[in-house]
Amino acid sequence: MTSRGALMLSEKDNVATLLEDVASGTGVLIRLGRKTSTVNARENIPFGFKIAISDIAKGANIIKYGETIGIASRDIKQGEMVHVHNLEGGRGRGDLVKGDAK
Amino acid sequence: MNFTGYARPDGSAGIRNYVLVIPWGLLAAKICDFVDGTRTILTPDSGSGRTSRDRETIARTLIGLGRNPNVASVIIQTLSAGAGYPELKPTRLAEEIAKSGKRVEILDVAKEGSTLRALEKGIQLAREMVREASRLRRQPFDLSHLTLGVKCGHSDTTSGIAGNPVIGNLFDRIVTASGTAFFGETTEIIGAEHILSKRGVNKEVSRRILEVAAEMEATAKSTGEDIRTVNPVPSNIAGGISSLEEKSLGAIHKSGSAPIQGVLKYGERPEGKGLYFVDNWMSMGSIFAGYAASGAQLVIFQLGGGGVVGNDLLYTSTAVVSPLMWTTANPKTLTMAPTSIDFYSGTVIEGKDTIEKAGEKLLQVVVDIASGTMTKVETLRHTDPTQIYLRDPSF
Repeated sequence: MTSRGALMLSEKDNVATLLEDVASGTGVLIRLGRKTSTVNARENIPFGFKIAISDIAKGANIIKYGETIGIASRDIKQGEMVHVHNLEGGRGRGDLVKGDAK
Repeated sequence: MNFTGYARPDGSAGIRNYVLVIPWGLLAAKICDFVDGTRTILTPDSGSGRTSRDRETIARTLIGLGRNPNVASVIIQTLSAGAGYPELKPTRLAEEIAKSGKRVEILDVAKEGSTLRALEKGIQLAREMVREASRLRRQPFDLSHLTLGVKCGHSDTTSGIAGNPVIGNLFDRIVTASGTAFFGETTEIIGAEHILSKRGVNKEVSRRILEVAAEMEATAKSTGEDIRTVNPVPSNIAGGISSLEEKSLGAIHKSGSAPIQGVLKYGERPEGKGLYFVDNWMSMGSIFAGYAASGAQLVIFQLGGGGVVGNDLLYTSTAVVSPLMWTTANPKTLTMAPTSIDFYSGTVIEGKDTIEKAGEKLLQVVVDIASGTMTKVETLRHTDPTQIYLRDPSF
């Protein structure tokens, strides 16, 4: 079990930001104000990176600060790390205008 | 709460007391080599081959730096490549700066008949002006006389959670005390502009916030590039930030919660006090000179740094006449650069401080620096080139 755990910034969030390095299999304390819950990390995730606190289907919005920070580029399981490998930002994308995005 | 500063004729208060020599060139550089207590802006942006809009930006920057409260008096040298353009005529720069009531001298090379004779005159003039400035004594001023500018950089996820919110709390305190605060970095409100827009003091300000973000996004798209290969920058991604939207949503926290009084151009001076958004570029080579030209006596670099390795000597002199202080909320960054970081807000992440408490402590540090204590990197003597934020093609 973690000590500092991870921080949610809004109740709408489906990711939380880790305040310490966590190893795969660790129970991560998820904090939102005074409310807490626990999610098991499915992989090693470093300090400052995001953990999915629920399953997120491919194409669904990824929410932090109560706002959309991108969409899931593949299915993400609860406890997985969320970063550029599975999150697709949508703003300022000149490559999408040209139509050559993957 | 008060700080002690140097009274200027226009009612403003300097937190430093320099003689400024502009525009940059051989004369300005050599005068500053010879005479302590002087500053110049090291920049290749002379105005030559630039559009009128860009020349006006250069002029606004030079005039603004001259009018900055940290400047006691100004020397304008005529040997500049841009001096032939109407916007950049030495007499025009001098007249605009002199509106602040401070002493402005033109060092006219043609009149002296030789660059070296002008240099001798300039050195003696600067020595006299520095001594004149040194006769001023600090006196108490309330926080309504303070103007701050902030940039967040090498942002990581600690920036959005703690570093920027603590700066935001500081800004709220400054604005509540009738002071002035600048934030900007237009690319980095894309994805969060709808939130900022709601804080416009009136409909026009709200509209302008959306407009500058839309213009910047259109420019980004016109390149045909994936913005994620440009911004977030690699150190942001290495620090855990996954998209421009996520970066922006964290970045706007540095603005606090006050209403936004207006959208300023790079180097533009605000009409009133309070919180302003500046339509500028995030580069530390550019942004700080613009804030100083807009009137900021102190600039803050809020550093994430999770993706930065081994850089313990953080530095830039690009605010020219205004000291730079570094803050971070990342414990790893503090460990990396303890001799550069002036304030650590990671106590919020560690559960030792609330954002409110950390903001109160930060204000104490700001007041101390405003009253004369040097920032850690202010002790270093090095001049970085400044890139004035020009938008048009050059010809």
